[in-house]
Amino acid sequence: MAVPAANNQAEMNEITNASDAQLVTMIARYNEVALAETYRRHGGAVYGLARRVLNGAAEADDVTQEIFLRLWNQPERYDPTRGTLRNYLLTQSHARSVETIRSLTARRQREINDAHKTARGAYDMQHEAWDVVLAEDVKRALAGLPPEERRAIELAYFEGHTYVKVAELLNEPEGTVKSRIRNGMKRMRQSLAEAGIEGADR
Amino acid sequence: MMQHDEAYELLAALSLHAVDLEVAAEVEAHVATCPRCQVEFDSFSSVASALGNSVEPLPEGLWTNISSQLWRAPGEKADLPPLLVGAGGEKVVSIATARAKRATTVRSSVAAASFAAAASIVVLAISLVGANNHVNHLQTALHSANRTVVQTALQTPGHQIVDLTSATQKPLAEFVLLPNGTGYLVKATMPTLAANQTYQLWAIVHGTPVSIGIMGAKPGHVSFTMDSSPAPTSLAVSIQNASGATRPTLPLVATGAV
Repeated sequence: MAVPAANNQAEMNEITNASDAQLVTMIARYNEVALAETYRRHGGAVYGLARRVLNGAAEADDVTQEIFLRLWNQPERYDPTRGTLRNYLLTQSHARSVETIRSLTARRQREINDAHKTARGAYDMQHEAWDVVLAEDVKRALAGLPPEERRAIELAYFEGHTYVKVAELLNEPEGTVKSRIRNGMKRMRQSLAEAGIEGADR
Repeated sequence: MMQHDEAYELLAALSLHAVDLEVAAEVEAHVATCPRCQVEFDSFSSVASALGNSVEPLPEGLWTNISSQLWRAPGEKADLPPLLVGAGGEKVVSIATARAKRATTVRSSVAAASFAAAASIVVLAISLVGANNHVNHLQTALHSANRTVVQTALQTPGHQIVDLTSATQKPLAEFVLLPNGTGYLVKATMPTLAANQTYQLWAIVHGTPVSIGIMGAKPGHVSFTMDSSPAPTSLAVSIQNASGATRPTLPLVATGAV
């Protein structure tokens, strides 16, 4: 990844060691290196979620690009009191991906797309290890749900369906599906809390 | 507006973006006014993000694509001359005038002595582009160029950040001032005004407001240069009729010490 050069080593160190909130402040002051560092830290997660929901590399590229340009242009939209930066970026990535998948064109594209494997690029090993652990914990929490709750959540979150559509697909009343999603999410919250995970922290 | 119980029941689905847009807007409107729902929604959103937090290697070239769109031309020093706007005496120059004159790079000076005997302020102001995404190529270019200028200003030794806040300390605007008296609006979070209103920027010199210029109903990008002796003690913003005023006619909405 070609990263814009910092003015000096001290600035680079400052950015590398900055908290996410500090990075956003720097981005608000048009510091491109700070955006690059944010991309390095969270780009893989933003891209990974978009790719999973969209099942298409090209669309995931577009979503990732849009999310980081939005952070650049509207950094004030991130409110650190309401969650971590990664949570915020993932929420943005998911919302945009769902918006895309719900368009007919994207749906068709998804059906014909093959899964593409991309060459693994350089990635911070420490964060990667943490991401793997986190993913395992989340997988465990999801697997621990009653099957009907897990299916409802998976169809909504990973397939991009509304709960009304999920009810239609599962041939269940809307109220039932709404409750299953809610109960499943509460169970997930409890499981993740017990595992010491609160959201998608780094 | 949607009732609390109904909204509360939908928070989990909303956190998964699994609610129709129309209903989602109603739930979000309720969440914005309900602390209990906000906490619950943030909590579910956190779980949803954890659910989607699986990292994949980033494609080669994606950052380059992003980076290339941050500025018109990465690394380019868009030496955009701040447009010297103004007329003599007490006339206040509008941003619209600034836009119109930029094409011919007309320059004129402002003699602001009538506002404060010891102060002489040369006003440079230009508003480049609104916040909507439907800008034309020229506006986009100007926008990018101006941002590069702001970034350069923020890296200039001796620069000063002036935060303008409301009476309740809510941050509303941030300016960067250079030692040579040039200033740029870094960011503004002031709400958009009606079309017949404008924000107006003032320098406070010896307790007297001296007009720097009109910022428009939705401040975009503003630059100015103050040649003032003595230096102003603070900057301030007021809301005025679209034509501006020679003195604030309404209470100042934001102030910040220089």
